[in-house]
Order: sequence, then structure tokens, then C-alpha cells
Amino acid sequence: MNLTAVRSNRNKLMLLAVLVLLCAAAYLLVEVNLDSPKLFAYAMKIRTPKLIAMLITAFAIGGASLVFQSVINNTIVTPCLLGMNSLYTLIHTAVVFFLGSGSIVATHANLSFAVDVLLMGIAATIIYSWIFQKTNHNVLYVLLVGTVLTSFFGSIQTTLTRVMDPNEYDTLLSTLVASFSNINSEIILLSVVLLGAIVWFLRKDLALLDVLTLGKAQAINLGVDYDRCIRRLLLGVTLCIAVATAMVGPISFLGLIIANLSRQLLKTYRHSQLVLGSALFGMLVLVGGQLIVEHVYTYAVPVSVFITVGGGLYFLYLLLTRKKV
Amino acid sequence: MRIHELTKQYDGKTVVDAVSFSIPKGKVISLIGPNGAGKSTVMGMISRLIAHDSGLVEFEGKDIGKWKSKELSKRLAILTQSNNIQMKLTVRELVSFGRFPYSGNRITPEDSAIIDRAIAYMELEAFQDRFIDELSGGQRQRAMIAMVIAQDTEYVLLDEPTNNLDIYHATNMMKIVRRLCDELGKTVILVLHEINYAAFYSDYICAFKNGSVAKFGTVEEVITKENLSDIYQVDFEILNIAGKPLSIYY
Ligand SMILES: Nc1ncnc2c1ncn2[C@@H]1O[C@H](COP(=O)(O)OP(=O)(O)O)[C@@H](O)[C@H]1O
Ligand SMILES: [Mg+2]
Repeated sequence: MNLTAVRSNRNKLMLLAVLVLLCAAAYLLVEVNLDSPKLFAYAMKIRTPKLIAMLITAFAIGGASLVFQSVINNTIVTPCLLGMNSLYTLIHTAVVFFLGSGSIVATHANLSFAVDVLLMGIAATIIYSWIFQKTNHNVLYVLLVGTVLTSFFGSIQTTLTRVMDPNEYDTLLSTLVASFSNINSEIILLSVVLLGAIVWFLRKDLALLDVLTLGKAQAINLGVDYDRCIRRLLLGVTLCIAVATAMVGPISFLGLIIANLSRQLLKTYRHSQLVLGSALFGMLVLVGGQLIVEHVYTYAVPVSVFITVGGGLYFLYLLLTRKKV
Repeated sequence: MRIHELTKQYDGKTVVDAVSFSIPKGKVISLIGPNGAGKSTVMGMISRLIAHDSGLVEFEGKDIGKWKSKELSKRLAILTQSNNIQMKLTVRELVSFGRFPYSGNRITPEDSAIIDRAIAYMELEAFQDRFIDELSGGQRQRAMIAMVIAQDTEYVLLDEPTNNLDIYHATNMMKIVRRLCDELGKTVILVLHEINYAAFYSDYICAFKNGSVAKFGTVEEVITKENLSDIYQVDFEILNIAGKPLSIYY
């Protein structure tokens, strides 16, 4: 049973990967004029960065959400529900606000991204480790505080943009809140490097995820340096959310959907499979969703709206069908 | 293992107060005492799960805090009182985690043999491929104990291992504790609620009351009418059965 379960999960993951590839190919090629090389090259130039950005986002959010759930030992909480993406948007706004939209930090996409990510790492580590300590990891409190923080960060961010002068506000809107129609593709390379570095630095901690889900006492009993491991993983989660938010803007609920779909499909404790499943589901939802939005709804409704509506319903479903929170 | 003046406070309230005793190697030592006496807290502190406020826990001549957690996990295993695992995990997979300190996530053939033995010890063969969230509390408890056995450490700490078990499995559990000690030479420290199990199967008993050690000694020294009446505040009679002082209370 043990081995067959592993093998059947491998098949499921393969199937998912194939679906993602099909979606990606369709996204690149649907309604492309294959006769004219010029038009073809143009379409590729527009679509490829977008596709890559979506794949990166899916990986970052999928991985981060699943790891986060395992770290705090609850499957209905995700980093976005705790306001991590609002925090990132706030940091980005604050940097532009205090340094001015003409400053080198604000005009240079990669530099701006690097500064934001650094600040985010520091701020989030302080804020969230404090919250987890204060609430004693009680999930309902954590969720409550997270909801408050989301609107808190959001309000400060709105206030900052209101008091900025109108010129600044314009620059801000276009760079600040990335979205699927306004993907921040300049930072793709840096994001890939950053994500690669995160995975590499955390490889030992990631290998401990299976044991961490046995709970704090068992993890320590089995020789895990629990506090250090949790701190490092949380930092990694924060940075992944920063990457995703910088690239396509905030999408609440995406992490919740894909992490739980992965858990439901694979029914395992092996995080190597769960994380992969979560990332693949993310790619499927984003690329498939965008495909539908662009060609069926011709951009009338952005994909983030679908995800938020679908995700909200799914969240309620998860809450109501769980035996205990 | 030596425990010296161990103290723990929660919110200014002292729950473990200057507890000192030495744990003889290769013996079964039971901690008994009323609820809230501090037994679990002491177990947590001597296994590095809970930080102590003052005092010293010396393990094999070295302060427990100075041990590498990984090294310690090959020499000392603990099962806490409450365990709440959210993962989809089969019994066998859970027991396999006991091998984590040695082999990480990769199970070697030797590990498999040890896992098989631990499962057989706890008579879990029939359940080994069932998910733990589909088992009864007692079956889950036995799976957790099998995991600790698979960890194969010199010191085994069990906090109320007979909790949730029916008399057959509880008695079996105590016999296994005895075998771990007699056949495999392990030092077993347990928290027990059933005084008679403690009296029948242990070498030493440490009785707690209000965060302090009320009595520590051999079974015969501790299990007396006066001691038990003092510790539990109820009347006791001691009967001598099969050479052991068994107690009844009323
Ligand atoms: N994490 C904690 N926070 C506050 N008080 C605690 C905590 N853990 C235990 N206590 C208190 O310490 C005392 C001893 O608890 P414990 O060691 O679990 O007792 P026992 O295992 O002997 O029943 C109890 O009064 C309990 O309420
Ligand atoms: Mg207890």
C-alpha cells in the first residue's frame, strides 16, 4: 500500500504536469497568426513573459501556502489570509512615498523589488513571529489578527496614496499594484534567482517538513531544532509571497485553493509531493484561467476575480465540512 | 540521568519546585501523583521539550541543554500526553518516523526490520496500513508507542502510556515496558495513574505532590499506607500479592 500510494501519486502528478504543459502551449498558441513570422514573433514577445510570470507566481504561492500550512499545523490558513500580500503592497507604497517616485529606487524595477523584498523579510518576520507567539499558535486568533492586519495595512496604504501628489499617484498605480493585465515582467530574472536561492538555502529545513507536521513535541523528540527551522521556513514563505505580489499583485485565496486541492488529491504527508502538487495546481488555475479570460471573456473579467469568488466559496466549504478547526 | 533543583513557573505560579532525584540506569521508574502535581512538566523538562527556569538536568554527565538535539534523539525518546496529528498518515508511516534521527526521510532495510519489530511489539500488524485518523484512541496510542520503540533509544520516556487502553492492552503495555528494560537494557521512565501498575511493574517510584517530590525510592519504600494516604488524601489499604505491595483505596 505504501509503495503503491507513492506510485499512484506520482502518476497523478505526471497527469497534472501534462495538463499544465497543454495549457501553457494553448496559452502561447491559441489564435496566433502562424503564417506571418512577424506577427508570430510579436505574439510570443507579449505572451511568453506573461506565461513565465504566471508559472513563477504559481510556484511561489503554491509552495509558500503549503509550507505555511504545515508550519502552523492548520490547513485553512494561508499567508494571504494573514495579510502578507497587503503588507508587501504597503511596503512598496511606503518606499515610493518616502523616497519619491523620481528616486532611483522607485524608477528602477529591479532595485525597487530588491529593497521591497528586504524590508518585507524584516517586517514580516518581526510581525508574524510576534503574532504567533502572542496567540500561542491558536488558529482562530491568528486568523482574526490576520484579518485585522489585512485591513490595517490596506488602510495605511490607501492613506499614503491619497496624500501623495497626483503625479506620484499615477506612477504608483501603474507600477504599484501589479495585476494580470499589468504583469511586472522586468523582475522575472531576479525573481527566479531569488526563488532558487530560497529553495537552496532552505533545502534542509524543507526536508524536515514531514516531521514538523507531527507537532512541536514530536519534532523536537526526533531531533529537529524546531524554533530555528520554523523561523527559517516562515522567512522563506514571506519572501515567496513578496515575489508573487510584486509580479502579479495580490490574489487572495489562490494559495488556499491550490494547497488544499493538492492535499485532497494526493492524501499524503510527503511534502515533496504536496508542494509539487500545489505548485502544479497553481499553474493550471492561473494559466488555464487566463486562457479562458483572454479568449472566452475577452478580458471582460480578470482572472483574479474568478479566483477570489471561487476561492471564497471553497474556503467556506472547507470551513463548514471540517470536523474541527 | 541526574536532576538537580529543577524549577518551573507558569505566570508566576511555581508548578515544579526544586525537584531533585537521580534516575538509575537500566531500570523502570514510574512517576505517580495527583493531577496537576507537575509530572508531565518534569518529563518535558528532562527531555528538553520544556525549558526549565532554574536547576540542572544532567544527561550522561552533560547538561541536557548542551546536547545536540539530533544526538539526543538517538539516546532519549519521549511520548507526550496529548498528540494531535493532522496529517494523512498510516500506522506504518507513523512508526517509520521513529527512524528519522538515524536515516532522515530515507528508510533503509535495517530500519524496516526495526519498524516491523516495533509494530509486532505493539500488536499492530493488522492495522499497519490504516490511516491513524481512522483508528480508535487506544489504537492510535499504541501506534505512537510503537514509534517511540522504533526510535530505539537507551532512555524511553512515556507520559501516561496506558491512557485510552483497555485492560488487555494496558497490561500488555506494562509487560512491554518490562521487556524493554529486562531484554533490551533500556531505562524506562513513565507517568502512571494506576498505582498498582506502577507497584507491580516498576523498580523505582517517584511520587509527586504539589510540584515537589514527596517520596522517591524502591516500590516497597514508597508504596505504604502512610505515604499514599498523604500523597492522594484518601484512605488506602496495602495488600501483598505475588510479593508486590498492591493498594486499594476507598
Ligand atoms: N503551558 C502551561 N501553561 C500554564 N500552566 C501550565 C502549563 N502546563 C502545565 N501547567 C500547570 O502546571 C501544573 C502541572 O501540570 P502537569 O505537569 O501537566 O501535571 P500532571 O502531569 O502531574 O498532571 C498544573 O497546575 C498545570 O495547570
Ligand atoms: Mg500529565
